[in-house]
Amino acid sequence: MIHDLRTIRNIGISAHIDSGKTTLTERILFYTGRIHAIHEVKGKDEVGATMDSMELERERGITIQSAATHTIWDGHHINIIDTPGHVDFTIEVERALRVLDGAVLVLCGVAGVQSQSMTVDRQMRRYKVPRMAFINKLDRSGANPARVTEQLREKLNHNAVLMQLPIGLEANFKGVIDLIAMKAIYFEGENGEHVVSNEIPEEMRDEAEVARESMLDAVSMFSDELMEAILEETVTEELIHEAVRKGTLSMDLTPVFLGSAYKNKGVQKLLDAVKLYLPSPLDGENTGVDLSNNEAPLTLASDPNKPTVALAFKLEDGRYGQLTYVRVYQGELKKGGTIINSRTKKKHKVGRLVRMHADSMEDIESSASGDIVALFGIDCASGDTFTDESVQISMTSMHVPDPVISIAIKPVDKKTVDNMGKALGRFVREDPTFRTRVDPESNETVISGMGELHLDVYVERMKREYGCEVETGAPQVAYRETISQRADFNYTHKKQTGGSGQFGRVAGHIEPMEDGGEDFEFVSEIKGGAIPTEYIPAVEKGFLQCMAKGRLIGFPVIGVRVVVDDGKSHSVDSSEMAFQAAGRGAFREAYPRAKPIVLEPVMKLEVEGPVEHQGAILKTIMQRRGTVIGTTESSGMSRIESEVPLSEMFGYATDLRSMTQGTAEFTMEFARYLPAPAEVQKELKEEFSSKIVDDDE
Amino acid sequence: MYRKFLNARSPLRLLEKGLHGGLGPGNLGIVVAGHGVGKASFLVGVALDELLRSGRVLHVSMAHPVSHIRDHYDTVFAELAATAHLEGEARLHVDIDRNRSIRVYPKNEFTPAKLREAVKVESETAGQPSMLLIEGLDFETISREDLADFKALAGELAAEVWMSVSYSKEQIAKLPASVERVADLVSVALALEPGDDAVLLRALKDHDNPNLTELHVALDPRTLLLTRH
Repeated sequence: MIHDLRTIRNIGISAHIDSGKTTLTERILFYTGRIHAIHEVKGKDEVGATMDSMELERERGITIQSAATHTIWDGHHINIIDTPGHVDFTIEVERALRVLDGAVLVLCGVAGVQSQSMTVDRQMRRYKVPRMAFINKLDRSGANPARVTEQLREKLNHNAVLMQLPIGLEANFKGVIDLIAMKAIYFEGENGEHVVSNEIPEEMRDEAEVARESMLDAVSMFSDELMEAILEETVTEELIHEAVRKGTLSMDLTPVFLGSAYKNKGVQKLLDAVKLYLPSPLDGENTGVDLSNNEAPLTLASDPNKPTVALAFKLEDGRYGQLTYVRVYQGELKKGGTIINSRTKKKHKVGRLVRMHADSMEDIESSASGDIVALFGIDCASGDTFTDESVQISMTSMHVPDPVISIAIKPVDKKTVDNMGKALGRFVREDPTFRTRVDPESNETVISGMGELHLDVYVERMKREYGCEVETGAPQVAYRETISQRADFNYTHKKQTGGSGQFGRVAGHIEPMEDGGEDFEFVSEIKGGAIPTEYIPAVEKGFLQCMAKGRLIGFPVIGVRVVVDDGKSHSVDSSEMAFQAAGRGAFREAYPRAKPIVLEPVMKLEVEGPVEHQGAILKTIMQRRGTVIGTTESSGMSRIESEVPLSEMFGYATDLRSMTQGTAEFTMEFARYLPAPAEVQKELKEEFSSKIVDDDE
Repeated sequence: MYRKFLNARSPLRLLEKGLHGGLGPGNLGIVVAGHGVGKASFLVGVALDELLRSGRVLHVSMAHPVSHIRDHYDTVFAELAATAHLEGEARLHVDIDRNRSIRVYPKNEFTPAKLREAVKVESETAGQPSMLLIEGLDFETISREDLADFKALAGELAAEVWMSVSYSKEQIAKLPASVERVADLVSVALALEPGDDAVLLRALKDHDNPNLTELHVALDPRTLLLTRH
């Protein structure tokens, strides 16, 4: 167990696809001794980088799933959460960010700040994750770290400060000048493992002095002591480190480091910086909610002697069985100890506790607050909180967006149905934004998620990891129906088919709910036992059965209040079943008279791109029946907020890319249901009617 | 109440009367008030009136984020709809959202050129605005040339341009010095002054009329609606 929490760094490495973060992670693991050979991403040696544990990721050269790995650098324990880089996997990124204390933002030295860097950076800001930047690929043609640093300032609004200068660039990239120690640092040996410190080359001395001065100017803003020392010319390295750390922790400063992970340059100095400047678990504040006190928020203490609180942030069903990655926020986890799942109240024994390397593991006896470890064979969902039995605490609930798109899937080979079931079960547990259900009518399995690519990846994972190839149907939008005016009902269900009959009469009205929310409300105003109390729930059930599938386009009905104020029963023929049928009949009677309408899901769409493309971006929104809410312009970038019907959003990523030469990026999430335009309603009604006719035939 | 009745009975008609026809296309108008007195609510009230009369509004702000401004519109519109028992509220709300654009800039980045660029983009995609609102402009530092450029743009678009000006005091006896130096470019200046139960509108400048009349319009601080007073 790690006793000194000050030596823990829980960090993420986040970046745009192809910025080289997987290679960087690989090199970190190599230099810290966790792996003994270096493989390339998209490797010519066909092995692939170690952090990319999934075959799909290996093939695409991108990281989709976050995996945690532990390593040690200069007496400091570094847990690296490898965060995915694509916008469709936002929940993965956000879950990972939740458990991080700090992050390294990797930027390509040539491409600079790309759209995904902006998304990731925005997410980090939201979760208040202090970060430093690593400008990678300085060996590449066109690399320009000064320009990238400027972009960090302009596009991401970072107070980015170069802590190093490159010695040579592109093919001549040899090493870096450390502006704190004022030394030239070279990375020698076959894999750059020998860090050699030399005098700054004569021809770079002036440039280095100027750069150091400007670095000190920026950094001294965070330390009066350093400012005084500068005036008195008594600056020490420690004073600078302290000031940089202070600025970094308050997120007012982003120190920038340089290198080329692929060419084995700069990585060890970055690790030093992680140790020096990024926060330990003691530097941040973590809050949970007290389930025993009406969910009152409470601050958790990184104290091993307090009751245990741990968050399961990632599940993996790998070759060793189900692994649950947890971050311990308070107390400690012990092998052989008992923990309780705050959501299910189920008790679990901690059979095995492990530290994870990307593809191997190390058994440990216990783990203290602040640490990230994995549990074995514990049945839970991603986002669950574990505590010891003395407290009922849950980590603050994380925002989980509703799925916005569904597709039907069918295995190509019927023999693989079982595998499909296993795969879906696992995906649902791993990813709260991924849902699955069986359509009772078509008997098809329907999967839902956050975007087209999100679902594509699961379809592909089913094929690769579970050998189950599936055919996919057309994307389906989750429409709803609602009523627009009050309508009365007075329905009698009466059946006499020999033996005891069925009888039930219900009367009242249905009306739209004021907020048009998703809630259904059932109000009984029955007086004098017109409907016996025991049958009233059956009436409600009858209505609910009809609400599940509207009669306009076959989608669920929402926003309806049912008021039952009269009825009649029969001493022999009335039953629960009869009153359920009466409820259904009453709904069928009143619904068409209540002027039902179709509601469509409208998404909140945020597009960010350079100002010069805002006209093109606005056009993509207008063409999709979108309503622009507003535009925020800053530092040459515009962020356009709008609302667009989901049904118009298919293929948006491709369109936006082509309209803006790939410079814009977007995020979207469900906003609300709004009435669909008349022509859309007409089309949907016709489609539904034709289906009914087809079914009848 | 139907939209056309609401428009006819709007307190803005009274304001127009008091100002001898209102601000008028191609002109700059300013509203001066102390911090938190209701400048933004006045601008939203004027904008909603324009939107309900089928105009298009471009609302530029250097003071608040987009979501804040949108919420302000939603709140005032909901209040207006409830007070006037407005028919077809949902549909009107959609229309209002579609005909209003909000643009937010950092203070140091907003220039007449930026506004021209924004108007061009808006005109090409959504439609040409008939009213521009500029919130958070620093009158202490704005140059005469820039203000003249805003006025020129108002003329080119035949649009009314309303701007808000912060003032350090609650009672405003005359045009603040920051406005006085460019008064020839400003057609209408109004002051918002907190009264006993409402924020009263008072004319500080009404085109070239030397005799300023009482406006009989106020801002209700509870509902944020413009009212007859």
